[in-house]
Amino acid sequence: MRLPALRLVAAGTLLLLVGSGSARAEDLAPLHARIDQFITAGAGGPVAGQASDAEFCRRVYLDLAGRIPSLEETRAFLADGDADKRAKLIDRLLASEDHVRRMSQALHVMLMERLGDHAEWQKFLHQSVRANEPWDRIVREILNPNPDDEATRGSALWFTKRLENYGQNPVDIPGLVRDVGRHFLGIDVQCCQCHDHLFVEEYKQEYYQGLFAFVGNTSIRQDVKFPAVGQKPLEKKVEFQSVFVQKPKAVGPKLPGGAEIEIPTFAKGEEFEQQPDKKTRFPGTLKFDTLKLLAEQLPRPDNRPFTRNIANRLWWLVMGRGLVEPLDLGHAGNPPSHPELLDLLAYELAAHQFDMRWLIREIALSQAYQRSSAAADDAAATVPGAKYVVALEKQLASEQLLASIRQALGDGKPLAIDVADKSWTEWQVKFDKALANPPREPEVGHNPTVKAALFFMNDATLLAWIKPEGANLAARLLKQADGAALADELYLSVLSRPPSDEEKAEVASFLAARTDRREKAVTNLIWSLLASNEFCVNH
Amino acid sequence: MIDTRELLKKFEPAKDAKIITADPQVRSARFSPCGKLLVAGGFDGRVRRWNVADEATLELPALEGHHAWIDGVAFRQEGELLFTADSWGQLCCWGSYAAEKPDVNWRLEAAHDGWIRDVAVSPNGQRIASCGSDQLVKIWSIADGGKQAEIAAGRDVLRVLWMPDGSLLTGDDRGFVKHWKDDGSLIRQFDAAPLYTLSRLQDVGGVHALAIDREGKLLAAGGTIPKNGATVTGPPTIFLFDVATGEQKHKLSLGADSDCYVADIHFHDEGFLSVVTYGTPGAGQLLYVLPEEGKPFFTRKMSNLHSISWHPDGKRLAVVATNPGSNGNGRPLDKEGNYVGNKSPIHVFGVSG
Amino acid sequence: MNYSHLCTPTDHVLSRRAILGAAGAIGLGSLLAPTRAAELQKKHKQVLFIWIDGGMSQLESWDPKPNTVFGGPFRAIATSVPGIHVSELLPRSAKIMQHLAIIRSVHTQDNSHSAGVARIQRGDPKNRGVTYPYFGSAVAKLLGPGDSGLPPYVWIKPGSSGFIHQDAGFLGPKFGAVAFGDGKPPENLVLHESLKPEEDDERNTLRQAANARYARGRRKQMGEATSYVYDVARTLMKWQDLFDTSKFDPRDVERYGTHEIGRHMLQARKMLEAGVTFVKVNSYGWDTHGDNFNGHLSLMPKFDQAFAAIVQDLADRSMLDNVLVIAMSEFGRTPRINGHIGRDHWPEAWSVVMAGSGLKRGLVVGETNDKGTFVKGDEHDIGALFHTWFAALGIDSKTVEYDNGGQPLPIAHEGMQAVKELLA
Repeated sequence: MRLPALRLVAAGTLLLLVGSGSARAEDLAPLHARIDQFITAGAGGPVAGQASDAEFCRRVYLDLAGRIPSLEETRAFLADGDADKRAKLIDRLLASEDHVRRMSQALHVMLMERLGDHAEWQKFLHQSVRANEPWDRIVREILNPNPDDEATRGSALWFTKRLENYGQNPVDIPGLVRDVGRHFLGIDVQCCQCHDHLFVEEYKQEYYQGLFAFVGNTSIRQDVKFPAVGQKPLEKKVEFQSVFVQKPKAVGPKLPGGAEIEIPTFAKGEEFEQQPDKKTRFPGTLKFDTLKLLAEQLPRPDNRPFTRNIANRLWWLVMGRGLVEPLDLGHAGNPPSHPELLDLLAYELAAHQFDMRWLIREIALSQAYQRSSAAADDAAATVPGAKYVVALEKQLASEQLLASIRQALGDGKPLAIDVADKSWTEWQVKFDKALANPPREPEVGHNPTVKAALFFMNDATLLAWIKPEGANLAARLLKQADGAALADELYLSVLSRPPSDEEKAEVASFLAARTDRREKAVTNLIWSLLASNEFCVNH
Repeated sequence: MIDTRELLKKFEPAKDAKIITADPQVRSARFSPCGKLLVAGGFDGRVRRWNVADEATLELPALEGHHAWIDGVAFRQEGELLFTADSWGQLCCWGSYAAEKPDVNWRLEAAHDGWIRDVAVSPNGQRIASCGSDQLVKIWSIADGGKQAEIAAGRDVLRVLWMPDGSLLTGDDRGFVKHWKDDGSLIRQFDAAPLYTLSRLQDVGGVHALAIDREGKLLAAGGTIPKNGATVTGPPTIFLFDVATGEQKHKLSLGADSDCYVADIHFHDEGFLSVVTYGTPGAGQLLYVLPEEGKPFFTRKMSNLHSISWHPDGKRLAVVATNPGSNGNGRPLDKEGNYVGNKSPIHVFGVSG
Repeated sequence: MNYSHLCTPTDHVLSRRAILGAAGAIGLGSLLAPTRAAELQKKHKQVLFIWIDGGMSQLESWDPKPNTVFGGPFRAIATSVPGIHVSELLPRSAKIMQHLAIIRSVHTQDNSHSAGVARIQRGDPKNRGVTYPYFGSAVAKLLGPGDSGLPPYVWIKPGSSGFIHQDAGFLGPKFGAVAFGDGKPPENLVLHESLKPEEDDERNTLRQAANARYARGRRKQMGEATSYVYDVARTLMKWQDLFDTSKFDPRDVERYGTHEIGRHMLQARKMLEAGVTFVKVNSYGWDTHGDNFNGHLSLMPKFDQAFAAIVQDLADRSMLDNVLVIAMSEFGRTPRINGHIGRDHWPEAWSVVMAGSGLKRGLVVGETNDKGTFVKGDEHDIGALFHTWFAALGIDSKTVEYDNGGQPLPIAHEGMQAVKELLA
């Protein structure tokens, strides 16, 4: 499974020679420039121009800070004459507390898929993001949680939520095995089972069974209060039988495409490093510890699916579409839209020790990222998204919507968000209920629901925020006599852009016709923008 | 204190059994009080009989006239009377039950409206009680089948038995055991309601097995603690109550969720319960347990057991099982391409000592 | 471990979610023969689809074989139609047999729940590399929402509410099911007390104007999907009484039964009266591998009560001519009785009951042999039933096709045809 590193570097060089004249291997352009070369080459036609400052500002705040910019921040960015302001904004946001929150939330939604939450898990995520822990280390801590490290032991929630049994259903071990493949290798081993025209029967079952051998003996520890995983000894290979050929087979712990691990035999009672204790229900620790082995073998730079998976997911996070789509369905019959680009991203990320912040920064610096999402004409709007001729609209997670709505309706200054705050937690629960997907449905695409529409229209809490109070948006707008100035403040606060002349005129005439019920008119204006498509997506 | 080792020495079933295969399936198999016959009610409207007086265990001609399922089988030694009841509501009294062709003393086509779940002969041998899904318990004169009394039990009654003093015990589909005077007045109710649950649309469980000790002091109500409807699962469970006070004395949990139902209970004179269970997909257990101990002192795993009957000589017991592999979706055909049903191997064990 | 016919190469090129959510899905799946739509709208047909999840036993319901080796303990009873008998567990349905049509010769392919449910509800068409819509989505597409403005495909189910776009397959999420958990209204259904209806209109007009401006130069799908859910939401807000159980007639509540299927069936009637095109009612928990007979003894009467009540009510309201009623499972149950007194899955020979629009009344089509093990004579797969149902709704399944982005697709299995004996 060694990466053909030399071949990739040569390919990159070749492309540069084609694109820009001469370059030596050592003078490779920065990654974001190379990204643009691949995208441009694959576009097959004209691409949209760069996003306006307002468009860019909103987009990058949402992507990196998990909220829209405040009125103050928008005005400041628009007024800034510095030619480098975009790069500087990117760096500022990546270093901010908002980014810690945003990235923790993105990882949480990706890894837990709304199965549940726990304070220890959040602690693990936050400290990992704050310290910019590399992805391979994060995965090691998830696959082999360390109950003795208070800062990271919450990583076990990834296992324990999947080891719970729901109602009368038995524990869904197949789902757990599947998620190991989906989240960390970008391979849905269960879906492999359909593709008997692409894989040899034995291989695909082996993918599943080999992973099963690593994690099939896990259970939730009952002897501690924090999320923790126990294991029973794996004594023999996993037996399975091909459906079409009635031939019994067996496999030990084995990663897809990897080598099978020998299972040692122990005398009864000798399997444990620390003996289990029936009284305290301590499960013991094993000499042959398959989770430890999984954590050692899976998150490695020479594990191609592992590196491609994270590169693909980070690309998806900021670009709105994976190079491999769906994100968990990578196999020979489902090639990436830009194969060499994905190879490059995977290679470079591995070469940078899986520094996620580094890769996100590089992608954000690219022209492809900073492209406008509006096409020049309707024809261009129908070009497939995979060509990135326009920037793709991205769904906003419920966490981003809560923060953005609070920001838009607030006092215009940047929000100081404390996710542990009691009110904020309650609001998040409410927003999740209305806007998040049901458990195990990945939040990867636009999925408008009747539930969400009703929430925006009639939720008491949300509507109360819109009403004028203190220095909030409605209160400030009501103080504005001038229609144009009101429109300015409204659009900059909610949509993070100045209104067009058309919009200014419409706001003014709308309000002029409703002087007897100005408050209602203003709140309706605010609501209409909040509930609009422009606000509710990341464009 | 009863010594279970002593009990095992005397009553442990032999490793091998004589197997009588009933095809098609039967549920209740009972030894006649004289010890000559084993009689079983089947799924095909026929009463099956085997001569167990000698080794050959030959089958006698089946008794015809019933329909569908025969769940009720009872005897009176005097007169060699056999009583059988089916799921279409017919109650029949046969004389000379061991003869080639027994007489029909009397037959009530519509003793109940529909499924008769159980029948029991009174201690004085004069009356027979029947109960069923029509929510009624009826008492008949054994002499002529005349109806003597009727109790509106208010629920589907799954089991009925007589107390030594001529009162009645019933077990219903909601997990309640009721003690009745024969005039229909309720003496007391025993709450084994955990044996029942409402799962979505389905009422699940109830008192599937009922037994009393020889003096009528302790009653055992068995079933499962149902976790769900549809394919029912839950641990086989028996509640034991003091008959006089109604107090629950013991709760016996006798297996895993896949072991499901207690199907039948026999209260041995020496104080232990012999119990059979059936579960999913082929689970079954023959258990001996002392009420005060909670855990069985003997367990034999067999395939889907439905009834247990001890021979009057105390040296044999018969347990109705089901062939292994009785489950299966879709179309399993035999070598000739026929669709085959399941069978009930009846295991007749000798006991040691 | 089942081979899933639903996971095909095309899914990866477009991504399953893209097919259901974005990539030109709205606008795909249009009718190839648009003039038909006008004709269909004339007499707005509707469907009541009762899904008995898990497998109702045909031997304990529509095709009893009393007093046979596999027949079980129950009796059969006569019905209002001489010569037709059903299980004793269906006394009320027996009394309205004159409205019903039973087909006893159903033989389908899949004996598993996981794949079988979807295959049945999609009509198990030939594999064309696309995910076919569920029957509800298909009818929503082919017949449209009618005048009510309510969503065309409504699903009343236990558990949670939601918008089930997966049902729609390649037709696109607009034709998914709007699900009402336990028939309850979705949260936030009532217009907030601070707003008058005209104020709600005003703010939504502003919203739509903002959306129209934003849509310039952008792909249409997202805008259309969002507009659609807002339209559905606003229509539901106007139809609050549909969910207000305090407004239900207590006599109706008693007649249908206060159990789950009774409540949901009454809710379904309200939806049909309000003009919803396709109403699906689900009942779960019928997979009686164990204790099948006590199970059906408990389950059947509740189904019977609710089913007979709604069919009678539809007849009384002169709605039965326009409403197609179907009650079915994903398969039947084995004649063979297993060791824990249950029946297992049996797609080989089972029954479906129907009533209403376009069908003959008071008859049985097809039969099984004496023991109920296999079909005797002509067998009918689910594809044939789809052809039959489309015909009953006035849709010619041999000429009407879907247009999946230029790919014409049959609306039912192209190798099968309608069961003529069922059609009026």
